[in-house]
Amino acid sequence: MLMRPFLDMQFGDRIITLMAALVLVLQIAVVAQRWIVTHIRIFAIQSFLLATIAATIAWFNHAPHIYIAAALTLVVKVILVPILFERLVVRMDIREEIKPIINVPLSVVISGGLTLLGYVVAESFYKQNEPGLGHNELAVAISLFLIGFFTMINRRKALTQVLALLSLENGLFLAAISLTYGMPLIVELGILFDVLVAAMVLGILVYRIRETFESIDVSRLRRLRG
Amino acid sequence: MERILESVIQLFLLLALAPLVTGVIRTLKARLQTRRGPGILQPYRNLYKLFRKGMVIPETASWIFSATPWIVFFGTILAGLMIPMVAADAPLGLVGGVLAVIYLLGLGRFFLALSGLDTGSSFGGLGSSREMTISALAEPAMMLAIFTVAIGAGSTGLTEIAGAAIGQTWRFLAPAQMFAFAALALVLIAETGRIPVDNPATHLELTMIHEAMILEYSGPYLALVEWAASIKQLVLMTLLINCFWPFGLQPTWFGFGALVGIGWLLAKLLFLSCAIVLLETVNAKMRLFRVPELLAVAFTLGSLALVSTFLF
Repeated sequence: MLMRPFLDMQFGDRIITLMAALVLVLQIAVVAQRWIVTHIRIFAIQSFLLATIAATIAWFNHAPHIYIAAALTLVVKVILVPILFERLVVRMDIREEIKPIINVPLSVVISGGLTLLGYVVAESFYKQNEPGLGHNELAVAISLFLIGFFTMINRRKALTQVLALLSLENGLFLAAISLTYGMPLIVELGILFDVLVAAMVLGILVYRIRETFESIDVSRLRRLRG
Repeated sequence: MERILESVIQLFLLLALAPLVTGVIRTLKARLQTRRGPGILQPYRNLYKLFRKGMVIPETASWIFSATPWIVFFGTILAGLMIPMVAADAPLGLVGGVLAVIYLLGLGRFFLALSGLDTGSSFGGLGSSREMTISALAEPAMMLAIFTVAIGAGSTGLTEIAGAAIGQTWRFLAPAQMFAFAALALVLIAETGRIPVDNPATHLELTMIHEAMILEYSGPYLALVEWAASIKQLVLMTLLINCFWPFGLQPTWFGFGALVGIGWLLAKLLFLSCAIVLLETVNAKMRLFRVPELLAVAFTLGSLALVSTFLF
């Protein structure tokens, strides 16, 4: 009796939709906040939610290999990457606020608009009234993409752009896992190590940019043109 | 006859409970900050003290200054009688729905802003202008969230909205409901002058918003305005909890059920108060120019809520 809701597909769908909605809210929160450390922590929470979504999908679809993807997400994106970046922030002694190109209220409203666009696009992908998990997650995933791109454009600092790229990758992961119930494990592994390596390389790159230009503001990179 | 009894009970609850909620929030906040705090009954003592005092009315003030406390107080009470508190069936539910409630509160705010300007003191005008700026930004977010709930119930009548909520206890897990709840919670913070937006305990003129408007009031008028402010807070909190967490809300008023309803109401109010206290303690007051950012988030959440009712 106690276990019954945990076997019910509809209950699973509801939980996943709820968590996907939270992921979306966190993505908008990223646009609204001003501190790099907060950005890193929000990214960690968002990745944690994604790992939970993956685990829930694994449970309800009896697909054990997704557990491994969930565990890897947990290790790489929730623990390793945030620690790496927080260390970088401490080492580079970043204290100033993020200054977006478009002001914050407008950015938030634009991300709201991008979410709507995501929903409109996702609408054409699935048939109405078709049962199963991952009904709304595609819309959320596309919105994550679009807002991730927008954040990359909207930020001047290299580190926040890298973080935006990673949350864009979170969108990819969500799309893959909700549409296909998990890609083959080897692909999953590849992507995750890719992310880890990319994060490390970009971290070093950011550090180098900082060493050379005394700032991680990418608009200064133009000086390379001599 | 029953209606009258219901109204009297709800009126009593509104008048008696509102200062208590304010007192509980203050005391909990003090405890969380390891202060002793004035005790949960302090707002009652304040009101009692203020009602016995004489008052000073500025020479420059017109009739608006003396009419405002009454309009604010009775407007808020009337709004309070139109919301479901103990049972889904609101005593004056037939008079108007959620829009009437919001704009009755808006009428009070309008007159407070006028009276802030009326005395001609610069701080009053400053408070009025800030209050109007914030409410102009909060209102769209609030309306979007309210409409989301109203679409779910198929009516803007609060009795129907609360009734529909009772039917589906776990509905609050739906994304639309969650977005709407988050938007309305942010608006609640802005409207009741809680910490990230305004500091209810401040007496530093430069940061005041609500307090600056009522700076010239004293004695019984100040008591009325403060009482109305705490009733408004209670009304908005009740609206939030009864639309989104309908546990224990009774469909109708009858004997024992009403007691259960009151018990649940108190429990949920206490829970929400704890959440507010926690939020107020961990956050610092925002700079005034940052407030639009918070309200932009509320607006976006509200519009997402409204859109996702059609999509999910």
